[in-house]
Amino acid sequence: MQRRPAYSSPFAPEALQSVSSIPHMDDITPEWAWGGSTGQGVKVAVIDSGIDASHPAVGGVSGYVDITDGPDGLVYDTEPHADSYGHGTACAGIIRAVAPDCELYSVKVLGPNLSGRGNVFAAGLRWTIDHGMQACNLSLGTTKRDFFAMLHELADLAYFRNVMLVTAANNMPVPSFPSVYASVIAVASHHEKDPYLFYYNPEPPVEFGAPGIDVRVAWKDNGYVTSTGNSYAAPHITGIVAKILGKHPGLTLFQMKVVLRALAANVAHSL
Amino acid sequence: MSDDAKNGGDGALGEARSTIARQAAEIARLQRQMADARFADELRQALILSATAGTIASPVTHSRLLQMIVETAAHVISARAGSLFLIDEETQELVFEVALGQKAEEVKKFRVPLGHGIAGLVAVSGQPMAISDAQSDTRQASDIAQQIDYAPQSILCVPLFYNDQIMGVLELLDKEGAPSFSPEDMDALSLFGNQAAIAIEQSRTQGNLAALLGEVLESLTGVSDAQKQWLQERAAAFATAIERENPVYRQALELAQVVQEIVSQGDAETKLCQTILRGVAEYTRARRQSTDGLGDFS
Repeated sequence: MQRRPAYSSPFAPEALQSVSSIPHMDDITPEWAWGGSTGQGVKVAVIDSGIDASHPAVGGVSGYVDITDGPDGLVYDTEPHADSYGHGTACAGIIRAVAPDCELYSVKVLGPNLSGRGNVFAAGLRWTIDHGMQACNLSLGTTKRDFFAMLHELADLAYFRNVMLVTAANNMPVPSFPSVYASVIAVASHHEKDPYLFYYNPEPPVEFGAPGIDVRVAWKDNGYVTSTGNSYAAPHITGIVAKILGKHPGLTLFQMKVVLRALAANVAHSL
Repeated sequence: MSDDAKNGGDGALGEARSTIARQAAEIARLQRQMADARFADELRQALILSATAGTIASPVTHSRLLQMIVETAAHVISARAGSLFLIDEETQELVFEVALGQKAEEVKKFRVPLGHGIAGLVAVSGQPMAISDAQSDTRQASDIAQQIDYAPQSILCVPLFYNDQIMGVLELLDKEGAPSFSPEDMDALSLFGNQAAIAIEQSRTQGNLAALLGEVLESLTGVSDAQKQWLQERAAAFATAIERENPVYRQALELAQVVQEIVSQGDAETKLCQTILRGVAEYTRARRQSTDGLGDFS
């Protein structure tokens, strides 16, 4: 047998896989991307403060995990939980509005404990990768450089496993992780209200802009508030990603970025 | 606040007050230039000035400083009420340090668990939040507002970060002349919060140093009372010298504050600062030596 350098076996003639193509960028339309899709069958994790499944804007949660830092290490509780702040419920409600039939999973990492939060956050990300989620909303992050390498590794792992991490950019002008990595879809806010209207930014790390200013969102106790923040921009894109995956389940993250870029409202299409 | 305190009960406090008044005029001007690129920098200068005035001129430094921070923030961002909470790590609670506004005295009694409300969310997520909604009941978003039966129309809350750690949150209630706080308000208050956190930490460190010095003096069991008294007098004289208009101490303290601010920006900034300062120190030493040397020969 012919010897090959390391990692080269997928490119041997007998091993080479045929992969499907996507249309030319100018031929990608909303109809092609998500026409008829409700996000059905797509597993979407919301790593946040929990989701209140009883909120009318959420309409059900398919699975739960509440991760806490216990005296003997991390504790994973998969019993149904609520959302003591409202933030995770807000994100879930936005995703649900765009992709009404997706399966929402609540990965609760934001609780009252300040200690061990970086590790709990990373554990939430790992749980998401290990449990077959296809998309994941991360409207939170950390600015602590201590977690740069650990989160970078997890974000790369998510990329290789085709788990699409949609992250909110920090609301303060400081880089937060994992939103500044190339392996995620980073989102900040624009002023418009149309949930399907998003822009592409040719100067990353933040690549997409979605509604995030004075957005009416679900909150705790079955309530609603109007709030501002990149936290609400990210789930708009997460919902759209879920919808696209509902119709094109095999897309990789880089193909997803190509599709999103093609559909961005500020792209000048050649005729 | 009493009229006496407003007018300045003693010289030092009066001076701090007049500094604030000057800053208020300056801030009003800055407010009209919100879009100006220099705004953030000038705001920072204003806060450093107020922090300096607070630590040097006023004997009631820490609480006065916190009060000034909320007053300045509410003034600059045009909010009707405001409050500042610091985190009690042991009890995992937010402790009200300052409250401004109509129901300020009632609000001031509260300690809030980190697991609830907008302030709790900001403290655990490290992300600023703006909430508004005239129709829905925003009291649900704020435990404190709920407890004192005060329904704010809008809330803006930012974390106070120092060295990557959240030490507390700064919250403003009810934007004047608008239904909600704008993203620009969020940016400005976040920047302001960063500077406020540095000022609070400086003030806290100074307070801790004074307490530590006191404990050290107390622990000197083998020393005679007379010696102890002498040490205490020396310490008191040192503290007074800093508080008074001693230009050397004052300049050194101001320089230390500038250095601390740079250090808080990160490793690269710290290294740059060290390199420059060491260079200056070496240069002045060399210059002194060469002058001394010439003196030997003459």
